[in-house]
Amino acid sequence: MGRYPDGLVRQPPRWLDRRAIADALVLRLRGAGQRLAIVFLDLLAIGILWVLVSYIISWHFHHVIAYSLVPWWAFGLGVVEAAALWESFGRSLGHRVARRELLTRGGTFPNFSQRLRHFLGWHLFVLPLVGLFFDPPLHERLSGLSPRSASMEGRTPVPWWRTSSGLFVAIFLCVGIAAAVSVTMDKESLTRLFTQAGRTVKFWKALFSPDTSILLPSIRDLLVTIFMAVIATSFAVVVAVPLSFLAARNLMRGPIGRPIYTVLRGAMSIMRSIEPIVWAIIFLVWVTARRAPFAGVLALWVHSIADLTKLYAERLESIDPGLVEAIASTGAGRLQVLRYAVVPQIINPYISFTLYRWDINIRMATVVGVVGGGGIGQRLYFYLKNLAWQQAGTVMILIVILVWAIDYLSARLRAKLA
Amino acid sequence: MTSDAAAAVHPKARVDWGALRRRFLSFLLDWMIWGYIAYGVMYFLNAYWWTVPLERFYTTLTLPSWGWPLAILGTLEMAVWSRNLGRSLGLRAFGYEVWGEDAAPTPGQRVRRALLWHLSVLPLGAGLWSSPERPWHDRLAGTELRLLPSPAPKRRKAFLSQWGIMALLLVVLTIWLGWLIIKIDLGVLIRRGDEGARIWLEMLRPDFRYFVRPDPVFELRNLSFSILDMAVVTLFMALLSTILGATFAFPLSFLGARNVMGFNSIGWLVYFVMRGLFNIFRSIDTMLWAVIFAVWVLWGSPLAGVLALTVHTIAALGKLYSEQVEGLDPGPVEAVAAAGGSRIEVIRYAVIPQVAPSFWAFTLYRWDINVRMSTVIALVGGGGIGDLLFYYKNQGDWPKVGAVVMVIVAIVWAMDYISGRLRERIA
Repeated sequence: MGRYPDGLVRQPPRWLDRRAIADALVLRLRGAGQRLAIVFLDLLAIGILWVLVSYIISWHFHHVIAYSLVPWWAFGLGVVEAAALWESFGRSLGHRVARRELLTRGGTFPNFSQRLRHFLGWHLFVLPLVGLFFDPPLHERLSGLSPRSASMEGRTPVPWWRTSSGLFVAIFLCVGIAAAVSVTMDKESLTRLFTQAGRTVKFWKALFSPDTSILLPSIRDLLVTIFMAVIATSFAVVVAVPLSFLAARNLMRGPIGRPIYTVLRGAMSIMRSIEPIVWAIIFLVWVTARRAPFAGVLALWVHSIADLTKLYAERLESIDPGLVEAIASTGAGRLQVLRYAVVPQIINPYISFTLYRWDINIRMATVVGVVGGGGIGQRLYFYLKNLAWQQAGTVMILIVILVWAIDYLSARLRAKLA
Repeated sequence: MTSDAAAAVHPKARVDWGALRRRFLSFLLDWMIWGYIAYGVMYFLNAYWWTVPLERFYTTLTLPSWGWPLAILGTLEMAVWSRNLGRSLGLRAFGYEVWGEDAAPTPGQRVRRALLWHLSVLPLGAGLWSSPERPWHDRLAGTELRLLPSPAPKRRKAFLSQWGIMALLLVVLTIWLGWLIIKIDLGVLIRRGDEGARIWLEMLRPDFRYFVRPDPVFELRNLSFSILDMAVVTLFMALLSTILGATFAFPLSFLGARNVMGFNSIGWLVYFVMRGLFNIFRSIDTMLWAVIFAVWVLWGSPLAGVLALTVHTIAALGKLYSEQVEGLDPGPVEAVAAAGGSRIEVIRYAVIPQVAPSFWAFTLYRWDINVRMSTVIALVGGGGIGDLLFYYKNQGDWPKVGAVVMVIVAIVWAMDYISGRLRERIA
């Protein structure tokens, strides 16, 4: 503005000021963002409800799965209309979650005509997305209503389950459970559940009359299982400890560190979401079923790396930075800081996590055996498949004893470390 | 003479059973370590020098008839000498150390202690029973087993001490043994690298054609399903089993809580039975429950999976819940009771507000686990998206396997995130 000579100082018009425009834009976008989030949540809730209802109806009456009984455009239109109605004439789920309520400028409750204007104006301005670029949006100007944070002044609080949102949640839960029941329970298996209990009697009997002749080979397989867990855990530790430093948010800063952190955490998260059984299947095809225990170990190893890295890194993220600064301020090098400030803080939790993971791996190793991953699980699955109940019961007893013992041991050791 | 009088006459007459037990466990640990080393040595001898087939060896531990007593006595001897000539791992693990008279024992004392041990303990533990505080071999050798480290002027570094070396040896032995027993063969990963690469590449080019449309190839009880259908079934299985499990576990957890039940003998009985059942049912994995229920109801029926998940959920949640109930603050309970509240009111206003947040957190955690389990439970006849996964895998149709795995990852990831966020909110 110094460019203008004195006396001719004119402020540039407000609509040309770049900063003002940016501010206004941000404000509008933020307002629009929140309104969109509310609408999105309502659409989602109503849409899922309709999907569930059509799921139940189609499965129950036609025995096919259909997610919508009507054409997709009707589905979309219905959901949008329902959401608009709900938002205009009640306190919708989106408003409820965002802690907003449709109120007039003065903060009073709207009357019917205002709500109707809000509802109709919504169609005119929000559907073509025009209204959202104004602040407040045009339909809100038209009706004089806007979503404000609900104040409790001068009114008795209504418990949320007595509002329309509460009703919706109740209906949603009922429909959801009904859908779950209808899809998981068919008449045939339900009748068998109540009539065929006798099929397992042999198994329960077998638990009390173990077959001792298979005890020694079973113990051998038990040993294989234990060693699978031990090997998988120890090799996972070797990989996970260095990785955990790269996956700790507080250690990985800057333009190189942050991408490494993000990529590692993402990869670990993906690897963790695939169950060891699925890993075992993949590895079994790779190393062939002849080396079943090896495939099992690889599966447990991969899953353990992902799990341990996450646990370790989370522990690293919560170390006390004061200690690190104290050691660093004495002029210690990076390694010395690591040795005297970081390691003492993490060593016990690390050992504790490792024991915990070992405990899990023992259990997983028995399960991995089921897909052919070797060890006691494979033996158990073999007996179960061949309906050799007595032998299966024997193996089951051994597994229970093993899991119990390891559980107890690892809990005791971890209690001592804590 | 009453026991009080005896205690007055001989202040040390009361036997410290805990200390004896710890001593025994420490010795047992050393003995087991040496037994393990002997087993490892025998295994290596077999694997590298003898021609006995490996399978038969470690099935039957083919020791000749004289081998067993020899092995037992030999490991016993090794345990005794390692405990006396230095600080063995068993001593270290329980914090024990052999002392002389207020100083580190001399080598002579150590040898004497080891020799006298045989006279004192081997004849049915005569020396131990007659003077549990300080057994014969310790008295005669002028030594003592104490819980403190001895005041030796120079303490060795861990990796130079006997227990440190032993620990390292055990780690090496275990990994080596494991390597042999599991028959780890890293070469095969490379030799069959083409196969592995093919699987991975095909899985990374997922085939989502049948994501919404039912796949005509895959048939389950005369119906075709799409990936989405099975994913929804999986989610419902997890949802239903968590709700059912929590509903049953909630009342049962009070029966398994010591502070609720531990007022009379019937209560204690119920408590022990409940806890025992929780533990047994918990240690049988969901997958094994699924086999039982698959045989019971129908192979591949989602109901079998739901029941298996429910049983395991009841046991796991029951244990977690009842531990929470045991950690209850008795203050509010007494306050409500003092104000004249009935039993129901005590539970409603003093117990539930205290346990509700952690109950919700555990339930959400369990929901997360159930989602994970329900994705694979189909393998043992439990139904769900795993049905598709294993079907496609058996067909060798890896692009479709890739698609299913990706859907599983998305589901598990989303559930993990949601349940984590909700748990944060609750805590």
